[in-house]
Amino acid sequence: MNSSNTNNGQSNNGKSSRLVGINRDLGLYFLELARLRSSAAPTEMEEDEEEAPKELNTINSSGGFLVVAPDKLSVKYTTVNLHGHDVGVVQANKPAPVKCLLYYFEIYVKDAGAKGQIAIGFTNEGFKMRRQPGWEVNSCGYHGDDGLLYRGQGKGDAFGPTYTTGDTVGGGINYASQEFFFTKNGVLVGTVCKEKEMKGRLFPTIAVHSQNEEYAYLLVHVNFGQKKFAFDLKATQERLKRQMTIEKISLPPNISYGLVRSYLLHYGYEDTLSSFDLASKSTIPPVYIAQENGFDEQDIGYALNQRKILRQLIRNGEIDAAISKLRDWYPQIVQVGALEEAVKYGRIELAKFFRLAGFYDLVQDCAALLAYEHPQESCVGYLLEESQRDLVADTVNAMILSTNPNTQDMEGCLQSYLERLLRQLTACCLERRSANGEQGEAFLLRRVLNS
Amino acid sequence: MNKLVMNFLVTEGYVEAAEKFRMESGTEPDIDLATISDRMAVKKAVQCGNVEDAIEKVNDLNPEILDTNPQLFFHLQQQRLIELIRNGKIEEALEFAQEELAPRGEENQTFLEELERTVSLLAFEDVSNCPLGELLDISQRLKTASEVNAAILTSQSHEKDPKLPSLLKMLIWAQNQLDEKAAYPRINNLSNATLEDPTV
Repeated sequence: MNSSNTNNGQSNNGKSSRLVGINRDLGLYFLELARLRSSAAPTEMEEDEEEAPKELNTINSSGGFLVVAPDKLSVKYTTVNLHGHDVGVVQANKPAPVKCLLYYFEIYVKDAGAKGQIAIGFTNEGFKMRRQPGWEVNSCGYHGDDGLLYRGQGKGDAFGPTYTTGDTVGGGINYASQEFFFTKNGVLVGTVCKEKEMKGRLFPTIAVHSQNEEYAYLLVHVNFGQKKFAFDLKATQERLKRQMTIEKISLPPNISYGLVRSYLLHYGYEDTLSSFDLASKSTIPPVYIAQENGFDEQDIGYALNQRKILRQLIRNGEIDAAISKLRDWYPQIVQVGALEEAVKYGRIELAKFFRLAGFYDLVQDCAALLAYEHPQESCVGYLLEESQRDLVADTVNAMILSTNPNTQDMEGCLQSYLERLLRQLTACCLERRSANGEQGEAFLLRRVLNS
Repeated sequence: MNKLVMNFLVTEGYVEAAEKFRMESGTEPDIDLATISDRMAVKKAVQCGNVEDAIEKVNDLNPEILDTNPQLFFHLQQQRLIELIRNGKIEEALEFAQEELAPRGEENQTFLEELERTVSLLAFEDVSNCPLGELLDISQRLKTASEVNAAILTSQSHEKDPKLPSLLKMLIWAQNQLDEKAAYPRINNLSNATLEDPTV
């Protein structure tokens, strides 16, 4: 088997020199080569003295099954009617550089034949050149025929779409997150954790194979960065760099802890708070909150227990009980809270409450709440109920906070520190975008939370 | 907003607070709360120096975690060795190092170096004052504990860090970026979120 393959390879190598010559003038060909050589390396890197892969390795490839064209950037699968394991594999001439943020290369499937199977991935130095990347340990490959990702575990994992003739597929290593990533036609297909065992140098690798085809004609071009990538590598790099800069920023100790605590205080989540405090005392090491924070918390801790009870009542829909408690504790608010009657007896009456300066927004919210709490009077019905109750609970909470004689600004009653910080973040991102001529991303909390 | 707070409670392992928060605010956690207790039990065991117990607990939780994570497993075993040395069980420590750790060191150069470093603790009469004393420090336990914690979270396909700190970092970064371009009300003190007017 082996010897016949070798023979095969030799004869095919002979053919391959014609492969390039066919459509090309020799002068143009050299001109192009020169241009390729002078163009930039795949990824722009500071202080990088590593040599990046520029071409395919013609010596250590499974020559029996594939032919690397003399430009060393095209692979053709040549043999006919072979078995499933007669795979043509070729690595790049150099391993992927490691002293950089990420490495990336692409292939273009010029012709996948009728039943062609193509795989792109990374393999280590001693990889068996008869195997698809991902079939063996210490390799990883995204396979075009089934769209699965193989990581040397005998079976593939669901990963992305299949790919075939006309598709550009890319493979990359993100060293910052220790992940492989693959792209199809310029779009990220997915990332996969780079196994810790996959140490050592990794070679960009492609495999081509076809089975039971009368005459297999598979042609794959490789792009090690000589041409523009279909995938916007630059944007990815920018994002990564930015992310790393951001990750490096140091925060005051326990700041997140303190903000969460103040959030719980602000909204009157008293039970959560006490569990939280209890737990943080028993952690190793215990969490210490800076003394100066305690000063601020006196204000947001105002009437904590009453606010907690009211929130509970409102969330449970016990509005009458909430209002009677409010009446006992905060007669000045219930004047406004008498809204309930107003809703029942006529909405016109509401108007006069709206004129109470400062409470305008709050009253409006309350009115909305009261409307929805009586489903028979609401056109929106039950759907909104839950969130509407939260809204009302938050509003009542803010109103009670505003009765604190120490309160200086009304705004502060409506928002916890945490929310103020995030609003500032949103504002900064928007401001920055407008400074850049409306270009760039906005900050969306929803997106961060769902990612 | 509640989700962000819940994410913090869950990731940091405040299981009771998370449970209360679910009741008080109606926010659903993004992970089964029962798994947090298990995770915290492991973390605590390492923090208290009961490494054997911790390893057992991790394996009860999901045996794949240690199988797929040789580095973590080595660090846990290393911690176990450190605890033996700390307790003055020199013979036991030596035996453990030879039987359990040495074979791993042969497989991996980094492990070997760390193993040698740990074993050399035995050469010192007064370990707490030797140059390698940091290994005995509580911070070494915490380091190992947070490594286990992160590995368990990853195995539950949950992020290993809460989102809140990175948002705060993002704010600092965004403000720094904006500084170059404009004067604007800035939040300098994150803990009270007060907007400060730009100095003109």
